[in-house]
Amino acid sequence: MGMTAVEKVLAAKSGRTSVKPGDVVSPDPDFIMIHDGVVMGAKRELDGLGITTLAAPDKVLMVTDHDVIYGSARAAERGAFNRKAAAAWGVKNFFDVGRGGHGHIFPMESGILLPGMFYFDNDRHATNAGAIGAFGFRIGSEISRVLATGTNWVMVPKTVRLTLRGQLKPGVHARDIGFRFAALLKQGGLAADLDYRVLEYAGDLEQFDLASRAALCSTPTEIRAYGVFVPPSEAILEHARSKAQRPFAPVYSDPDAQYDADLKMDISALEPQVSLPGSVENAVDVSEIEGLPVDHAFIGSCGSGMWEDLVAAANILKGRRLAPNVRLFVAPGSEETNRRLAAEGLLGIFIEAGVVMLPPGCGPCNDAVVGPVHSGEVSISTATNNNAGRFGAKDAKLYLGSPATVAASAVTGKITDARTLA
Amino acid sequence: MSEFQWILKGRCYKLGHDVWHAGGVVPNWVITGRHFDPKDIIPHLFEETDPGFHTRCKPGDIIVTGKNFGMGPKMNGYIAMQALGLGLVCESMPFLAYRAAIGCGVRVMTDCVNVLDLCETGDELEVNFRDGFFINHTKDFRREYPPVPDALMEIVELGGNAGWLKDWQEKRRAGAV
Repeated sequence: MGMTAVEKVLAAKSGRTSVKPGDVVSPDPDFIMIHDGVVMGAKRELDGLGITTLAAPDKVLMVTDHDVIYGSARAAERGAFNRKAAAAWGVKNFFDVGRGGHGHIFPMESGILLPGMFYFDNDRHATNAGAIGAFGFRIGSEISRVLATGTNWVMVPKTVRLTLRGQLKPGVHARDIGFRFAALLKQGGLAADLDYRVLEYAGDLEQFDLASRAALCSTPTEIRAYGVFVPPSEAILEHARSKAQRPFAPVYSDPDAQYDADLKMDISALEPQVSLPGSVENAVDVSEIEGLPVDHAFIGSCGSGMWEDLVAAANILKGRRLAPNVRLFVAPGSEETNRRLAAEGLLGIFIEAGVVMLPPGCGPCNDAVVGPVHSGEVSISTATNNNAGRFGAKDAKLYLGSPATVAASAVTGKITDARTLA
Repeated sequence: MSEFQWILKGRCYKLGHDVWHAGGVVPNWVITGRHFDPKDIIPHLFEETDPGFHTRCKPGDIIVTGKNFGMGPKMNGYIAMQALGLGLVCESMPFLAYRAAIGCGVRVMTDCVNVLDLCETGDELEVNFRDGFFINHTKDFRREYPPVPDALMEIVELGGNAGWLKDWQEKRRAGAV
């Protein structure tokens, strides 16, 4: 019996010729990612057990992305602790404030994360690794065992295949696919259980660049997918080859691989989507909600912080100003993208429009440590989800859209189909 | 480790489907207050659905649940179950709830199809979590279900992730790993 791509990755990293769903393996990861918010807990736990050295410090990527600019004394304390921890553990790959950016974005851009790789990550948005054809496994607080021993147990997940047919219309974004997909699952238009499944895309994927593939990884994560996999195109492989810091071997599913469900979605007629407050699953065509006044807007996050996302926003914002009542925060996904924004003039477009630029990282998407909303305010953003309280006040109304939809809405002051401003 | 009890014999406590961890297993304030000490959690286990549960249950008793047990995966309730010596048998759990239960050292079997139809609260049960047997002595029948995977047994035997890591460190110091 054939294997899916993720099954192949897990088999290869576990020294086995094959695995099947339900098998428990202990993969040897290509690297181990720990984000700023959990270093303190892991260090104290390991110190308490007398474990002061890591199994593979050279594999560890410590990333400051969740709370970058220290909006509190507590955050500054944590930053200082993390720097000492990195030194004590001998972690050389420490991407501190202003050094790397968003841990789910810059490794793909810079050739650290490559097709066919496997890594452990304390954070659930490790699913983004699927954008480049790799598998990131969320291990939560059990990252401490990975740091100490070099691995942890992984039960091989089942895989659900989603075949996309057709080409997106101009002005429709890959994030819109995820919103619509989530709504179809909720409404019964498609049937699959995504709990602890890998969602593997298939079909007409050549149209999706790396940023679009990251967008495809975003929403399934919010509806319990544990991994997402987008088989790398030749363009993705060319990107990886041009940036690779070590050899890599892409993986693809066998023709006779077994899937837990096999779904199909025609995207050729898809309209820009807006997810209504409460869940990514509450997606409607933008036309159904156009005109609703907004106060707050944000572009960034795991799913929408790459160069192409910001170009889409800049194309709307160029020569325009934000509506007087709207504040728009933009958090680029990486320091490299930040530099490119400056070099290619997009930074000027954002600033002229009145955008507040945040440092590369999660922005308000992490517990609203920056740029929160007030009670009763209305927000539209590219955040990973719009669960109540995501941006602070629980009674704020949080809408989600693509980067273009958010930028257009920030310009007009109300939810807007970006195609009307093109 | 040979003395670890993989077979529990005790009374059945039957719950329904879709039990959330917050509210259904322990009050939400136990979770948000980050209470991880079993003595702090035990008085509140199933408090909102079965007040006084902790005073009636005994080591070896079995909690039997329907589908989607432990939604909103958290670990607090499993800490109390492990400390009380309870077993857990579910028709299904979100994977992260299962991982949390194993990580807290709970003897747990999931994917036990239609197990709710096989027992009532108060029945005398015997469950072998190592070999996957579910026996209802009151109703006099036996079913086979997926046991704890071999690869995860050591974690449960050592009381969960913390115990496993402590044991690993002790073995390492002794030069055994």
